[in-house]
Amino acid sequence: MSETRPEAFEAEAPAAAPRALRRRAGGWLVLGLGLAMLVTIVLVTTLAPLLAPFDPSATSMNSLDGPSARHWLGTDLIGRDVLSRLLWGGRTTLLITLVAVAIALAAGLVLGLLSGYLGGWVDQVVMRVLDVVFAFPVFLLAIAVVAALGPTVPNLIMTIAIVYTPAMARVVRGPVLSVKRWDHVEAARSVGMSEVRIVTRHVLPMVASPIVVETSLTLAQTIFTVTALSFLGLGPPPPDPNWGGMLAEARQFMELAPLTVLGPAAAIVFATLTFILIANGLREVLDVGSRR
Amino acid sequence: MQRNTPTPGLPLDAEYRALTRRGVLLRLGLTTGAALLAPGMLAGPGRADTPRRGGALRIGADADPIGLDPTKLAAFSSFDFTALIYTGLLRWNAEMKIEPDLATGFEQPDDTTYIFTLRQGVKFHNGQVLTAHDVKFTFDRIINPDFGSPRRVQFIDLREVTVIDDHTVRFDLKQPSAPFLAYMATNPNGAIIPREPGDLDAAPVGTGPFVFESYQPNVEFTLTANRDYYEEGLPYLDRVVFRFYRDNATILSALRTKAIDMTWVRDPRVASPVTRAMPDIVSAPGQTSRTFPVWMNLKAPPFNDVRVRRALSLATNRTECVQTVLAGFGKVGAMIPESHVGGWDGTGEMPYYAHDPAAAKALLAEAGYPGGIDLGDYIVVAANPLDVACAQIMQQQWAAAGITVRINPMETAPLLAMWREGSFPTLLSVALAWNPDADAILSYLNSGGDFGRNLGMADAELDAMLNSARSELDPAARSDKHMAIQRHIAEQAYCLQIYQYPLRWELWWNSVQGYVPLSANIRSFVRTTWLTA
Amino acid sequence: MATARTPRSGSPILRLVAVRLVWTAAILLGVSVVAFVLMRALPGDFAIAAAGAQFVQAEVLEAIRREFGLDQPVWVQYLRWLGEALQGDLGRSFVTRRPVTSEIGPRFVVTAQLTLIAALMALAIGGTTGLLSARLRGQTDWVVRLVNGLSLAVPNFVVATLIVLMAGLYFPFLNLFNYTPFLADPLANIGSLLLPALCLALAVSVTVSENTRAAVLEVSSQDFVMVARAKGLRPRRVLGSYLLRNALTPVITVTGLQVASLLGGSILIETIFAIPGMGQYLFDSITSRDYPVIQAIVLLAAAVVVFVNLLVDIAYARADARVRYE
Repeated sequence: MSETRPEAFEAEAPAAAPRALRRRAGGWLVLGLGLAMLVTIVLVTTLAPLLAPFDPSATSMNSLDGPSARHWLGTDLIGRDVLSRLLWGGRTTLLITLVAVAIALAAGLVLGLLSGYLGGWVDQVVMRVLDVVFAFPVFLLAIAVVAALGPTVPNLIMTIAIVYTPAMARVVRGPVLSVKRWDHVEAARSVGMSEVRIVTRHVLPMVASPIVVETSLTLAQTIFTVTALSFLGLGPPPPDPNWGGMLAEARQFMELAPLTVLGPAAAIVFATLTFILIANGLREVLDVGSRR
Repeated sequence: MQRNTPTPGLPLDAEYRALTRRGVLLRLGLTTGAALLAPGMLAGPGRADTPRRGGALRIGADADPIGLDPTKLAAFSSFDFTALIYTGLLRWNAEMKIEPDLATGFEQPDDTTYIFTLRQGVKFHNGQVLTAHDVKFTFDRIINPDFGSPRRVQFIDLREVTVIDDHTVRFDLKQPSAPFLAYMATNPNGAIIPREPGDLDAAPVGTGPFVFESYQPNVEFTLTANRDYYEEGLPYLDRVVFRFYRDNATILSALRTKAIDMTWVRDPRVASPVTRAMPDIVSAPGQTSRTFPVWMNLKAPPFNDVRVRRALSLATNRTECVQTVLAGFGKVGAMIPESHVGGWDGTGEMPYYAHDPAAAKALLAEAGYPGGIDLGDYIVVAANPLDVACAQIMQQQWAAAGITVRINPMETAPLLAMWREGSFPTLLSVALAWNPDADAILSYLNSGGDFGRNLGMADAELDAMLNSARSELDPAARSDKHMAIQRHIAEQAYCLQIYQYPLRWELWWNSVQGYVPLSANIRSFVRTTWLTA
Repeated sequence: MATARTPRSGSPILRLVAVRLVWTAAILLGVSVVAFVLMRALPGDFAIAAAGAQFVQAEVLEAIRREFGLDQPVWVQYLRWLGEALQGDLGRSFVTRRPVTSEIGPRFVVTAQLTLIAALMALAIGGTTGLLSARLRGQTDWVVRLVNGLSLAVPNFVVATLIVLMAGLYFPFLNLFNYTPFLADPLANIGSLLLPALCLALAVSVTVSENTRAAVLEVSSQDFVMVARAKGLRPRRVLGSYLLRNALTPVITVTGLQVASLLGGSILIETIFAIPGMGQYLFDSITSRDYPVIQAIVLLAAAVVVFVNLLVDIAYARADARVRYE
């Protein structure tokens, strides 16, 4: 919220140094933990074909069995192995999250840079259009768009990208507005450097930190949005497993097989925690003030 | 702690024997005793207590009504509410036989004429006295094409309604119609509305045992006892309150904690453990009144080739679907569920029903798909977990025979649009709403109707069979005709029927007495229900 | 996560408000167009949703469409809707055929109540942990941060599902789904909203906590607090009269900005706890294609978000002005 002030990028006052150092060390620790968890998720889900004990779509007559040596996390309504479905389901969830955030980041960068750097009517038009999108509560907008387009993987990716682009654009635009008035940018301009080069060489590096932090935060929120949408039945279509859908289904049969809720719940929490740790770690390490 | 025996699946033929004798004027004793006979017969031991008056029955409902005007509403979810507010000339008794209600009886001088005699002194909730003019008004409205009543299709054989005097009314049909009386007895199809109805959706006015009081969508729907109700001493309850819940989990929690006295759930797997764990909850699985069909687009390749359709039928292991999806609480299904005239009981042979992937492959090869076939999207109702589960099981079964599909669970509204227009690419599943007569189910495959045409039906032989069954007034003969029709449909595999199951599984606390579940899927017997102190 | 825009220096607050109000109206108009077109672009309409899987003739569907004006071109429908909306008439629900305003009113109250209780809980939890974290700075505040991280990592619908699961397993006779209308029993009403509100509040409390921490740290490093300390005022006094009062504004602002996320989250929580609020209603209305209701809810939600943003901006502008005049 508070716009990132130029001072934030300058060296800290000497008196604050020891504390800041300790903080940064803590930040690295948190970031490391988050990254380690991310690597775990990525490894486990990409290796799902090797790791999963069963075909995630193979049905059997063992409906809603509890955990056993054969099915570590039990089976679902139509006798599929929950563990295998969790592993495979992680792939879809991660794929949607990563691709959607990448698109939102790209779109946000372009719009934010255009808007902040060019200013004037471009800024007005871009920001006003984004204002309209921004006026919808994020989740409500996502529900409406997914319902309209149908819940397929590409549609989910597109929806989430649309929903998070305005926030990303604003985070980019804010610092760009201040950075472009700085002396060295003015200087670059006065020596006749092209605008594109100014942006890539001088403006972008200066605004990189808040963007990196915002991206990692958006990743955490996207995991939430993807799983919440599938929880409401707006997830990727069956038989492909997805965590939110599995949780919703397990909820329906909680009376019969309470433990089947735990697997998907744990997976969702683990994934969200991963991105939150990364975001918090980055924030400390890059020393970007909290904006939320 | 006794349990009510579930209503046995009685065929509908008994009522025809009682009612279709020509020129016989049927009269029903209008005493309370006679009215109570039906539920009384089903009572177990310990039911000798005298009914207690007063109290509010709280019913957990999973869907709000959409409209309350019986001539206008289309949504099945409204039926629960209209069934208590309105009554018709006839009604179903507990054994699913037709009995007089607002009528005291009727004469049938010939195959196409019915003359009903009305009860005297029946009042609408607004105080107006019921006369034959109200009956005429109701049915004129229904058969008027400009009004666009969803009921019109059920009374399509009705030519006109004539008032003979204030309490006698004549119905003239265009041709003999076997389903006519069944529709008359079913709420809301035959429900009578006053001739100056006003806005019945907002302020419903009927002749039923309960009067509309208030409705707060998603929260509560409240009815109070109709003190002028025509059956002496009924209803016992002061109020009926429907409370709305959204899913199995919330509705069962509400039942368990006695926030509601009675409810029904759609999934038998969920109902059975509740009653096992709580012996004070009475459970009654409904009759198998609904089937799970797979509709195929017959207009275009590959389903215009009967060999592909038969292959798909052979590739399906129906028994496995019943066992896995319904945990055995169902039967293999054909076109007509067991509870209807000529319904199939799921035993014995049906053409192309035996699971045989090898034969399926051979048929596919013969049809020009030796390497298997990709059927593309298989559209199912996303909101129905049983449908989605069964689709996934069949996807696996079909794959074993070289048939691949992509499951596409769709929101209900667009799915229904595609289904009606026949614009779905290849496969689509949606279970039909409950209907009192098998004719409504079979009509879908009549190439003379919009739906059959859109689906790509063109079978003159079947059309003739359907029309002949529709005009057959003898129940035994009609039943035979229905069985022959089902075999013909299975033989040609026009529509793949997988299983049949109860639409609803009713549950109630044993403090609720005098209630009988009705396989017409409405709660008519709330009128004889009372609560123990 | 809205980024508040500070006005250009020198512009008086009144002008800002006027400009922003006009702009707010324009945004709402944009939202209404988008919502209208989007909803009508959905395949399947109200007539089809209402008829369900029954044997109905095409003319029945046509009659329903005629009755609700759905046979008109979209732009005609929109202009008609807009004309009525400008006169305060948001139309009638297709499903219940009652005025949308009277349908949404009670539900809006429920959602507002839920959101408000959640916001207060978030303020209480976040304020306490944030203050603790600031006071314990550098030593044990990692505990607070850990708790915060965990609260953020467990999405509200997962918490809600787990709570319902535990209650079902260990307290089978506790009815979590006993929402009581406020007028029927105010205490029971608030009681029935506490758990759902807590689920909603958790994630927001983290934001509040972090901002409280930052605000307290910032304020305590400012001159007047230093002076107060130097004058020998007791620490409790310093905290009470100086620190909190000055740190509170930004914290409340941050909570306000979370209204959008609370509104979105309420869809999930209302569904899980069977609370008859707007979120659940929106979902049902999309399913039944009850266009006037969808339109009104989307507009109302957008209006709340836009106005909260506006209030935040005004608060910032005032704070700015004060800084300048002092």
